[in-house]
Amino acid sequence: MIRRTIAIAAFLLILASLHVIALGRSTEARKQLPRGEGSAIVLPSALLKIAALEFKGLVSDVLFLDSIAFYGGTLNREERPRLKEWEWQWLDKTLSASADLDPYFLDPYLFGNAVFTWEAGMIREANDLLAKGSRHRTWDWMLPFFTGFNYFFFLQENEKAAEFLMEASRRPDADPMLASIASKLAFKEKKTETSIQFLEEMLQRTDDDLSKQRFRKRIEALRGILLLEQAVAHYQKRYHVKPHSFEALVAKGIIQKVPEDPYGGTFYLDPSGSVKSTTERELMPHRKK
Amino acid sequence: MTTFWPIALITFKEGIRNRAIYGITLVALMLFGATALVATMVPREVGKVAVDMALSTISFAGLLIVLFVGINLMAKDLDKRTIYTVLSRPISRSQYIIGKFLGMILLITVTMSILSLLAITAIVMLKNIHAGYFTRFSWQTIILADGLTVLMLIVLSAISFLFASFTSSSFITLVLTIITYIIGQSLSGVKSLLEAPSYEIGFSVSPVTVKVVTAAYYLFPNLSLFDIKLQAAHALAVSPSFILWTVLYGLVYIVISITLAAIIFRKKEFP
Amino acid sequence: MITINGISKEFKEGITGKCVKALENLELEIKQGEVFGFLGPNGAGKSTAIKILMNLIFPNSGKAEIGGKDVRDPEARRIVGYLPENPYFYDYLTTDELLWFGGRTAGMDSNSIRERSDLLVQQVNLQNARKRPLRTYSKGMVQRAGLAMALIHDPDVVILDEPMSGLDPIGRKMVGDLLIELKGQGKTVFFSSHILNDIERFSDRAGIIIGGKLKRVDTLQNLLSGGKNLEDVFMSEVALAEGGTAG
Repeated sequence: MIRRTIAIAAFLLILASLHVIALGRSTEARKQLPRGEGSAIVLPSALLKIAALEFKGLVSDVLFLDSIAFYGGTLNREERPRLKEWEWQWLDKTLSASADLDPYFLDPYLFGNAVFTWEAGMIREANDLLAKGSRHRTWDWMLPFFTGFNYFFFLQENEKAAEFLMEASRRPDADPMLASIASKLAFKEKKTETSIQFLEEMLQRTDDDLSKQRFRKRIEALRGILLLEQAVAHYQKRYHVKPHSFEALVAKGIIQKVPEDPYGGTFYLDPSGSVKSTTERELMPHRKK
Repeated sequence: MTTFWPIALITFKEGIRNRAIYGITLVALMLFGATALVATMVPREVGKVAVDMALSTISFAGLLIVLFVGINLMAKDLDKRTIYTVLSRPISRSQYIIGKFLGMILLITVTMSILSLLAITAIVMLKNIHAGYFTRFSWQTIILADGLTVLMLIVLSAISFLFASFTSSSFITLVLTIITYIIGQSLSGVKSLLEAPSYEIGFSVSPVTVKVVTAAYYLFPNLSLFDIKLQAAHALAVSPSFILWTVLYGLVYIVISITLAAIIFRKKEFP
Repeated sequence: MITINGISKEFKEGITGKCVKALENLELEIKQGEVFGFLGPNGAGKSTAIKILMNLIFPNSGKAEIGGKDVRDPEARRIVGYLPENPYFYDYLTTDELLWFGGRTAGMDSNSIRERSDLLVQQVNLQNARKRPLRTYSKGMVQRAGLAMALIHDPDVVILDEPMSGLDPIGRKMVGDLLIELKGQGKTVFFSSHILNDIERFSDRAGIIIGGKLKRVDTLQNLLSGGKNLEDVFMSEVALAEGGTAG
């Protein structure tokens, strides 16, 4: 009797380990299967809405989880660019569909904004998504704030940015700083200072470490520029001429040393007297035509 | 009431003791468990996903109860001739239908209350763990959505009674009810799609189609009206007039269906 | 007590809609306190006549009354206890609940239902099973539960469709005893059977129905006059009917 029990237990144990091995191998092998390319087809939202019957919220959740699962799965890809064009398109369509099924669902907007801006340079798509959210989540100042930031940071359309910041500032519980940043942007006052202020505001609203790191670096660079701009102005006020170079500022003791460009370049004075960096394009994220 | 109550009670007892109820409750329990898992996979709106899933689970389980327990209660009476037990009493056909339907309402209400309690427990637990992610949340709207779901199920059950009154097999009743459910949930969507300007939807629709859809719109129950799960998930305002008109629509539809079922039933023979 | 006046019934068969005559111009009068046996081969129309009495199906022509009330009026069934052929009750209910339902719908209060239930459950010998769901019952037990249900409200008229079918000898004796007791109480009993012996033993009067037509109605004494037994009488009626259709 005992022998039989042991035999059965052993048999089951062998089966169980076989199960684990087979599952692991199969999953591994599946990843190697050729994947359908260019299939960025997502059912139109109008049809999805009908097919979802009374489970629209649920389908919206599933579509969203689908898109973050897909995106998460690409994080350890080695090829560059990590995502292919059609994959970005699929992500955009899936998130839009999720938002169409439940237009009040915040996560698809935030996730779409986060991945489309920095990585894909799909600023317009990100803004379209945010606009949809902003229309429905009328109580939420974050969405127009992000739209404004995208206009300011990625598209350098400050007037548009100011417009959206003003919209954000009118919504409940909005940060009082928003209105002031908006007006400064609109009147092109103290550009560098405003940018720092805006970025710091953004830094506070950001959860993920990569974005935080990017904002901090940018703020550091802008602080360097601001320091130099103030020094140049000081020099000009004292000597009534523009300095030729930053060395002059150091020589006169206005600054102790020229700050380092966190992007690895050097700051320089362009002929018009404004402060620039050799890594200027780093400051401007790549833009799509 | 003295004639309705005994019929309602035996209908309810027969339904609630059905093994299928335990199976459906088990499925619902597993789905509530899944709610806790899935909700935590969402970065921010844990509350919205939790409410979505909990309410959808209630709806789905209720649907299973109406389709597989409710229809069976009525159809088995005809299939197995248990109806002789009832009709051999001093009970008219209409009293039979109404009593049976009251029993069905009792069954739906009781089972739905139990499921709702489970759902609320799941939401409360998640809310305690992830309090920060339940910023927009209203019990009131959730209960309201739950109530409208129950009303939707009762409407569906009423129409299944109508089908059972003129078909001779429980299978046909089941198929007709499932079709009605799908049509009822998608009707208003299809209607607004067809009424949209053709440049928006990218294809033109023949006027006949529009007429057919419009006819269906008034004929079939508009079940999607009773769906405010989205509003509940985001604690959006639901106007009292909407509730009022929807509840009225539901009640009117129920009364029409049951009246027609009773009229057909009066002429029905049970050889 | 029971009056059947010129009742005819046709059934449409299948999709073709071919009409089959189940009853032809049935005339029958059953007096109060009488035990009437309705005898006929399978498919002769016994059940059809009983279902018309219970308003489960409707006659194409003719009229039926119980206790002076048209059978189409639910109130006519207030004084009737009915046991269908091969009864099937709710799977998950118990005998007690079935009896409660029967009593309640007949307008009894809880106390009298309880008293009457105790008595009937004992009579049909279901004391040990009364709290069990009916789905666990054997066919004979279901039949006995149905009998108790038919009698719960102490009806004046008892209509039993094949009450003996599917019963073992003990069950048959039990039903027989009940029939005799009902007769002793002065109840009107209308029961159908295709078993000659049952009719012979329990009924005062019997009707022989073949092919939807009532061939003979008489008291048992008259039917069996001259030392005949019921089998001879029945077989000669069957032979006559077959000869009639053949010729």
